[in-house]
Amino acid sequence: MHNFSATKKRLLLFILFGWLLLLVGDRVGELRQYQGSFVAMYTLAIASIILLTGYSGQLSLGHSALMAVGAYAGALSTNNAHLHPVIALIIATFVAGLFGLILGFGVARLSGPYLAGTTLALAVSLPSLANQFPILGGEQGVAFDVGAPPARFGEDFSQYKWFFWISSLAALIMIWLIANLLSSKYGRSFRAMRDNQVAAQLTGINTGRLKVTAFTISAGMAGLAGGLLVMLISGVSPSAFPLSLSFSLLTGAVVTGVYSLKGVMLGGLVLVAIPEIADSVVNRIGGSEGFTATLPGFLVSALLIAAVLFAPNGPGQLLKKKH
Amino acid sequence: MIRNTRMKRFSIVSAVVAAGAMVLSIMPAQAADPGVTATEIKLGVSTPLTGSAGLAYGKVPGAMKAYFDYINANGGVYGRKIKLVVRDDKYLPTLAATQTTNLILKDNVFALVGALGTATHSKAYTAASLAAKNVPDLFVNTGFSGFGNIAKYPTTFTVLPSYAMEAKIMSKFIKEKFAGQAVALVAQDDEFGVDGVNGFKAGGLTIASTTLYPTSSITDARAKALLTGLSAIPGKPVVVLFGTTDVTALIFKAAESLDLVSKFTWIAGSVGGDANTLLALGVKSTTIDGAIAASFFPDAKDTSDEYVSQFMKINEKYNKGISFDNIVLQGMNSAMLTVQALRAAGKNLTRTGLINAVQNKGAKFASAGRVPLNYSATSHVGYNGYWFGQLNAKGELKPYGGTLSIFTTDSAAGAVEASTFTRPAMPKNGIPTNS
Repeated sequence: MHNFSATKKRLLLFILFGWLLLLVGDRVGELRQYQGSFVAMYTLAIASIILLTGYSGQLSLGHSALMAVGAYAGALSTNNAHLHPVIALIIATFVAGLFGLILGFGVARLSGPYLAGTTLALAVSLPSLANQFPILGGEQGVAFDVGAPPARFGEDFSQYKWFFWISSLAALIMIWLIANLLSSKYGRSFRAMRDNQVAAQLTGINTGRLKVTAFTISAGMAGLAGGLLVMLISGVSPSAFPLSLSFSLLTGAVVTGVYSLKGVMLGGLVLVAIPEIADSVVNRIGGSEGFTATLPGFLVSALLIAAVLFAPNGPGQLLKKKH
Repeated sequence: MIRNTRMKRFSIVSAVVAAGAMVLSIMPAQAADPGVTATEIKLGVSTPLTGSAGLAYGKVPGAMKAYFDYINANGGVYGRKIKLVVRDDKYLPTLAATQTTNLILKDNVFALVGALGTATHSKAYTAASLAAKNVPDLFVNTGFSGFGNIAKYPTTFTVLPSYAMEAKIMSKFIKEKFAGQAVALVAQDDEFGVDGVNGFKAGGLTIASTTLYPTSSITDARAKALLTGLSAIPGKPVVVLFGTTDVTALIFKAAESLDLVSKFTWIAGSVGGDANTLLALGVKSTTIDGAIAASFFPDAKDTSDEYVSQFMKINEKYNKGISFDNIVLQGMNSAMLTVQALRAAGKNLTRTGLINAVQNKGAKFASAGRVPLNYSATSHVGYNGYWFGQLNAKGELKPYGGTLSIFTTDSAAGAVEASTFTRPAMPKNGIPTNS
C-alpha cells in the first residue's frame, strides 16, 4: 500500500515537472529550446550510465557506441523504412537494448578494468565499422529528419520547440520508468549486487542474469538518447559518436552523483552549460581561437577533479553534510 | 473574503495579460534581417580549427578574416565593416550542428560564409534551419555534388568544383594524353571517392584496376601490397590517386621504398595533390617531380599571378606569421567573392537580396580561379572546371605540356568541353568596386 502511494506520488511529480517544462518551453527563445533538448538527451544518457554503474556496479566506457547503435537504428527507420519519428525512436531503444542484451551475455563475466577495457574497445571500433556497410552511408551517414511540427500547433510553433517537446517527453517517460524500476525489488537486487556480489548470491540473487538485465536496460536508454541526439543534429554519421562523448557522459554522471538518479538533470545541464560558460569567459576576457577551443575540455576536466575531491557522491552529499 | 481574494487575483492576472498584450502590440511586426546595422555586417563560419582536419584546413578562417580586415581598413562595404564570427567544430557533426545553430540564434549572424566539410555541414544546414530562416550559406568548401541540389539546400552556394566533375575531366585528359596505358584507380571509400568513381564511369574511362580503401584502414603495409599488385600490370600504368593528401603521401612513400616511383605515371586529384603538404609529410622532392595534378586555382607559389601576388601582400600585413599556400589562397578568394556578393546585393542589404545577387551576378565576379564560376538561378555550384599541371621538384605546378588547357563540365551527363575562359582582371589593389 505504501509502495503504491510512492509510485503515485512519483507519477504526479513527473507530470508536474513535465507541465513546468511545457511552460518554460513556451517562454524561452529558440536557442534555449535547442539547448533544453540537448539537456534532456544528455540527462537520459547519463541516467543510463547511473543505472549501470551506480546501481548495478558495472563500469562502461563505451556508451557512445551504444548510443550509435540506437542512432543508426532510428535513422534507418525514418530514412529508409519511412516510419514515423516516434516509432523510429522506439525502435532505436529496442535495437540498442537487444544489442546490449547480446553484449551483456558476452561481458557478464567481466568486471572492473576488464569490462571497462572491453567497452572502451567497443567505443573505439564500432562507429568506424559503420564505414564498412554501404546501407549506413559511410562517413556521410544517414539523415534523420523528424519533419516540421504538426500544423495543428500553429505557424509560430518552431522546429526547436518541437525538438524540445520530443526530447523532454522521451527523457521524462524513460526516467520515470527507471525510477519505478529502481524502487522495486530489482532496484534492491541491483544495489545488493553492487555492494557485495557474493552476499547477493547468498541471498538467492542470480547476479549473472541481473547484470545482463542492467546492461540491456542501460543500452536501451543509451540507444534512445542516441536517437534523440541524431534527431537534434538531423542525421547520424560515425564521427557523431567520438570516444570523448563517452567520457563527457561519465563526467556528467560523476558530477551528478553516480549512486543516485535524483539529480541526474544536473549532469545534462552541466554538459550543455560548459561550452556556454567557456564562450562567455572568452567573450569577456578575450583570447585566441586556440584558447576558445580548449577551454571547454579544461573546464570539464577541472569539474571532474573537483567532483571527485569534494563531492564523490554528488552535490546532494554536500547538502546532507551541512545538516 | 474568498471572493475578494479571487477577484484580486483575477484583476492582477488580467492586468498582467493586458500589459503583455500591449507590449507585444507595440513591438515591430517584422524586424529587418539580423546581423546588419548601419556600421557592421556580421558573418559567421563553423569550421575545424583544432583536430586533424584543423591542422590541414585551420588556416581558412584566418585568411578570410585577414582579407575582411583589409577591406574594412579601406572603407568596408558601403561604409559597413565586416565582422567574421568563427566557431570551431573540430570536424564533428554534432559540434557543427550546435555551433552553426549558435551562429544563427546566439551570434545573430547575417549570413554564413566558407563552411568546410560534407558530413559536418550537411547536418548543420538542417539542424540550424538555414533553409527555413533563409540564411545565405555562401562559398562552402566541399566538392560533394549533393550540395548542388537547390530543392534541398536552397540557400547554399558551394565554391569548389564537384568531385564528379573532376573525375569526368580527368577521364578525358587520360584518354587523350595516355592512350594505350592501363589505368589503375585508387580512391577513398566514402562519398568523396564514390562521387569520383561515378564520374570516371560517366567519363567513359576504361579502368583496369579499382581499389577503394576506407580512410581509417589504409596503412604503409597495405599501400605496399597495393603497389606490388599494380606493378604486375605490364607497361607503364597510370595510377590515379583520388583521396586526401595524407594518403597520397603514404602511397608515394611506399613507392619510394619499393623503388616503384618510375614504374607508374602518377595523377593526383585536386584534394590530394597539394605539393606543400606532400613535401611536409616527408615525400621526396624527386618523387613529386613529374607527377600530374588537377587544379582550378593558380599555383600559390606563382608570384607572377596578379591574384596570388596581391593576396600575398594582404597576408603579410593582416595575417602575420602565417605562410601563404593554397589554403590561404582559397580563404582569401572566398572572402573576396563574399565582398563582391555583399556589394552586388546593394546598400539595402537583405538575405534574399544577397542570395539573388550571387545567383544573378555571381558568374561575373572577379576571382583567382582559372576556370569559370557557374552561379545562376538553376546552379549553385561555383567553379565548374579544371586544368592539369605537372609538379616540379620545387613543388610548383606548371601547365601540362607547357600551355594552360582548361576543361569544363557538369556533375551529371554533360560533355567535357575545352574552355576559352579568360579570368576577370583583379580589381585595383584587390578591392572590389562592383555593384
